[in-house]
Amino acid sequence: MITTTKPAPRLDTTARTAPRKRRPLRTWVIAVAAYVIAVIFLLPYLEMLVMALRPNNELGRATIFPKHWTFSNFTTLWSSGLGGSIGTSLEIAAGATVIVLLVALPAAYCTARRRFRGRVAFLLLVLATQMFQPAAMLVGIQREFSDFGLPPTLSLIVVNAAFNLAFAVWILTAFFSSIPVELEEAAMVEGLGRVGALTRITLPLAAPGIVTALIFTFIAAWNEFLVALTLSLGQPPSQQPLTVAINNYIGEYSVDWGHLFAAGLVATVPVIILFAFIERRVVSGLTAGAVK
Amino acid sequence: MDKKFARRICGGAALAVAGTLALAACSSSSSGGSSSGGSGATTLKLVVADYGTGPGNASAKYWDGIVTAFEQAHPNIKVDVTSIAWTNFDQQVQTMIQNKQYPDITEGDYFSNYAQDGLLYSASDVLSDPGNLLQTFKQQGTYNGVQYGMPFTTSSRTLFYDKKLFTQAGITSAPQTWADVEADAAKITKMGDVGFGLPLGAEEAQAESLLWMLGDGGGYQTGGKYTINSAPNVAAFTFLKGLVSAKDTEPNPGTVNRTDLWQQFAQGKVGMINGSPALIPIIQSAGVLQASDWTSVPIAGKTGPLTDTLGVCDNVAAFKPNGHQAQIKEFLDFAYQDKYQLAFDKEYDLLPATTTATKALTSDAVFAPFLTALPNSVQYPSNTTWATVKSKIQQTIGLAVTGSPMTELSNLQQIATTAS
Amino acid sequence: MPAALRRLTPLLWLSPALALIGVVVLWPVVVMVQSSFQQIGGEGFVAGYNGTTNYHNLFHEPDFVSVLLRTVVWVVVVVAVTVLLSLGLAQLLHQKFPGRRLTRWALIIPWAASVMMTALIFKWALDPNVGVINVILHHIGVVKQYGSNQADWLGNPTSALAWMMAVAIFVSLPFTTYAILSGLQGIPGEVYEAAQIDGATSWRSYLGVTLPLLRPAILVATLINVINVFNSFPIIWEMTRGGPGYETSTSTIYMIDLKQSDVGQAAAMSVFNFLLVIVIVLVYLSTTRWKEQVDQ
Repeated sequence: MITTTKPAPRLDTTARTAPRKRRPLRTWVIAVAAYVIAVIFLLPYLEMLVMALRPNNELGRATIFPKHWTFSNFTTLWSSGLGGSIGTSLEIAAGATVIVLLVALPAAYCTARRRFRGRVAFLLLVLATQMFQPAAMLVGIQREFSDFGLPPTLSLIVVNAAFNLAFAVWILTAFFSSIPVELEEAAMVEGLGRVGALTRITLPLAAPGIVTALIFTFIAAWNEFLVALTLSLGQPPSQQPLTVAINNYIGEYSVDWGHLFAAGLVATVPVIILFAFIERRVVSGLTAGAVK
Repeated sequence: MDKKFARRICGGAALAVAGTLALAACSSSSSGGSSSGGSGATTLKLVVADYGTGPGNASAKYWDGIVTAFEQAHPNIKVDVTSIAWTNFDQQVQTMIQNKQYPDITEGDYFSNYAQDGLLYSASDVLSDPGNLLQTFKQQGTYNGVQYGMPFTTSSRTLFYDKKLFTQAGITSAPQTWADVEADAAKITKMGDVGFGLPLGAEEAQAESLLWMLGDGGGYQTGGKYTINSAPNVAAFTFLKGLVSAKDTEPNPGTVNRTDLWQQFAQGKVGMINGSPALIPIIQSAGVLQASDWTSVPIAGKTGPLTDTLGVCDNVAAFKPNGHQAQIKEFLDFAYQDKYQLAFDKEYDLLPATTTATKALTSDAVFAPFLTALPNSVQYPSNTTWATVKSKIQQTIGLAVTGSPMTELSNLQQIATTAS
Repeated sequence: MPAALRRLTPLLWLSPALALIGVVVLWPVVVMVQSSFQQIGGEGFVAGYNGTTNYHNLFHEPDFVSVLLRTVVWVVVVVAVTVLLSLGLAQLLHQKFPGRRLTRWALIIPWAASVMMTALIFKWALDPNVGVINVILHHIGVVKQYGSNQADWLGNPTSALAWMMAVAIFVSLPFTTYAILSGLQGIPGEVYEAAQIDGATSWRSYLGVTLPLLRPAILVATLINVINVFNSFPIIWEMTRGGPGYETSTSTIYMIDLKQSDVGQAAAMSVFNFLLVIVIVLVYLSTTRWKEQVDQ
C-alpha cells in the first residue's frame, strides 16, 4: 500500500515536552534533537572509518584519532583474498535475489488477483515462515545440506532465497493488490492477453515494490553471517563470503583490526548506498498488508 | 512519477552492483594462491593453523613456499592451502567434518575421535619413515595401538618475566615458587601494571591451567583416568583465585586470551607470564622491550620450579574419505624434510618433531635447553573424550578463578567421565 | 478451461514458492526433531537413536536454567526498550524540519550494515586498553585506569550483558522506528483536529488517539523484534562468545556451542528454543487479539 504523507498536525513528542513556543523555535529544537540522534547513529561507522585509516603500529595506542592517517590497510587488503570473497558474496546475493524474483512474482501475483481456496492458508504459511529464522534451525539446515552435497555457494544461494521469500511474497502481494484489476482488464480487452497485460501494465506499476523486495533480499543475503559461517568453512578464503572472511581476521595472534575494519567498510558502504535508494519505499512496503 | 522513481532506483542499484563487481574483478586477478585444476590433476586440501603474528609471517606463506616447490616436483598434484587462526581451528575443522567437506591433511590440533570414526589414515599409510617422528609424542597420537596423529612441531613452556619492571619494583631474584609469584605480582600491581598475566580465555585455557596444576603435582589425568577435580588441582586454582581477587592479574582472566596478554607483555605492561619460544618474535616486533629487559626461567611450581614442563605438540592428520592416500604420502614425505622442519622452527621459534631435525638443532644455543626438556614433558590426554573435555575447559575454566574452584573442576570432571 | 483444472492453476503459480519453502525452511525442522532423538557426536556421525537421552542431558546441564532466564531478560529488555525508544524516534521523525531526509538516512545505516560488523566495532571500542569508548571515558574521568576491571566492560558478565543489550537495541531501532513511522503516516490529520477540538492536551491525544491507531504497527514490530532478538547471534558471539563460561549466553548461543561437541543435544536445544518462540508468539498474539488486525 503506497501511503501518502499527510502533513502531520502539531503533536509534541512525549519525551521532549517543550513548552508551547512559537513555531520556528520549536521546529529548530526538534531539528537539533534529530541531528544529534543522527550523529549518534553515524558514530560507530565513522569510528570504523577512523580505525581503517589507522596504521598498524598505532593499534596499541590509546588515542581517539591516529597520529598518522594511512591507506595502507586498503591497499594490502586484496592480497588476503578479499577480492574473491567479494565475488562470492556477490554471487550468493545476486543468485538469491534472482531466485526470489522468479519464485515470488508468480506466487504474489496469483495470491493478489485470485481468491482461490487455500489463499488464506497460503498467506498464513508465508507469515509463519517469516518467523522461522536460520539460527533456530541451524542443526537441521546443516545436516540436510551436508547430505545434499551441494557446493557451499549454491547451498547458500538456496538458503538465502528461501528465507527471504516470505518477505518478498508479502510485499509483492500487497503491491499487486493495490494495482486496480481494471487496468489489466482494459489492456486485455485491447488484445494484449494476460501475459502481455502482466508485463506491459502490471509489472511496471509494481516496479517500486519489486525493486524494494529485491534490494532487501540482496542486502539480507550479503550481510548474512551464521549460515554462511556454518556452511562455508573448509573453503579457501576466497571462496568464503565476505562476512566469514572478515570474521577470520579475529583470533590471529594480534587481531588485525585495521584490516578488519577496512574490509568492513568495503562490505558495508555499497549496501548503505543501495539501501538509501529504497528508504522511502521501505516505510510503506514493510508493514503493507498488515497495516492498512 | 513511479516509473521515473523505478528507473532511478534501477539505475542506482545497477551502478552500485557494477561498482562492486568491478572492484571484485580487478582484485581477484591479483589474489594469489594455488589454483586447483588441470585435467588429470588431483587436488589436495590442506588445512593448517596459523602460527603467525601478522600478515608478514602468516603460516600460509610458509606453506605456500612448500606447495610451490612441491607442485613443481609433482606436476599432477595440486595443493589448496587454508590457514585458520588458532582460536577458531577446532571449531572450523569440526564444522567442516560435520558438513562432510573433508580435508585431506590438517596441521594443528588432532583428536583421536577422528581415528575412532575411521576417518584417518595411519602414520605408516602416509609416511615413508614414520619412525623418524619423535617417539616422545607417539603415544598421544595413537589410537588402538596404531599411530594416526603425526607430530609436526612441538614446544615447551617457560615463565617469562619483565626484568625492567622487576627492577623498578625492587625485586632482585627470579620467581621460583607460587609464593614468589604472589609477592612479586603484588609489588608490580602497585606500580599500575599487571602483576601476572593469566590467560584463561577460550583460546588456550587448557594449557595455562595444566601449567598450574603441574605446579602442585596435579594434572588432567592420573594413571590414564581423568582426575580433574583432584586435591592438587583444586589447590592450584584456589591459589589462582587468591591472586585474581588480590587484583594481581588482569581483570576477568576467563575472558582474556594468551594472544592479547602476550601483546601486552611485549608492550612492557605485564610483569610475569607463561610463554613459549613463540613469544619471542612478538616481543621483538613490538620494539618496546630490549633483549636485556626480559628473560625466561622454568615455570614456578608450588615448592620450586617445575622439572616437567608442558610439552605441546601439534599434529598432522591425514583424512581417508577423499581417497588420496598416494598423493598425501608424496606431499607429507616432501613436507617433512629436515630443511622445511628447520625453516618452520626458525620462523616461529618452535621445536621440530622429527629425530633428524632435532639432531640438527642440538647445537643451536637458543633451542638446546628446550630440546633437552622435551623428553620429560607432560602432554595432554590422548583419549577420544579429550576433544569434548578440551572445548568445555576452554569455555568454562575461567570461572574457577572467580567462582568456586571445586564446583567448576567437578563439573569438568563429570563431563569427562560421562563423555567416555 | 474445465472447472477442475481452473481450480488447480493457482497451484502452478504457487508451487515454486511452496517447494522452496518446503525444502529449505520446513524440512530442516523435521530433520532437527529427528536429530534430537539421535545420538550424534561432534563429527556428525549418527550412532542410532537414543530416545529422550538428549533432552534429559540438556535439562540437567548446570547452566541450562540460568541461560534460559538470561534469554528471557535479554528478549524482554531489548524489545521493550526498542519499542519505547522507537515510538519517540518515530514521533520525532514524523515532524517537518529541515534536514529530515538526511536524518532518516542516518537512521537506516545500522540496518543496512551487517550486525556482525556493528558488533565488532563495539567490541573494539570497548577494549580495556585502547578502545575509543574507554579513551573518551578516561578523558572525562569516568574510567580511572586503562586495563582495570572497570574498563573491562566485556569481561564482567553484568556490564557485558548491558552493553550487548545496548548494541542489540541500536541495531533494532531502525526497523522498529520505520514500522511505527509508517503507522503514523497512515493516521489521517482529521483525527487529531477532532481531538484538539475536544480540548485534549497533546499528551492525552497521544495516549488516547495515536497509540491505539498505532497498535497494528506496534504489534507487527514487536513480534518481529521478539523473534529476531531471541535468535540473535552475531552480537553475543563477536563480543563475548557467551563467556566467561556461559554467563553471557542466550539459548541460541548455548545451542551453537553445544553443536560442537554433541550435535544431538544441540538439536534438542533447538527444538526447545523453537517451541519456546512459538509459545511466546502465540501468547503475545492471543493477548492482542491479532486476528482482528489482519485485513483480508
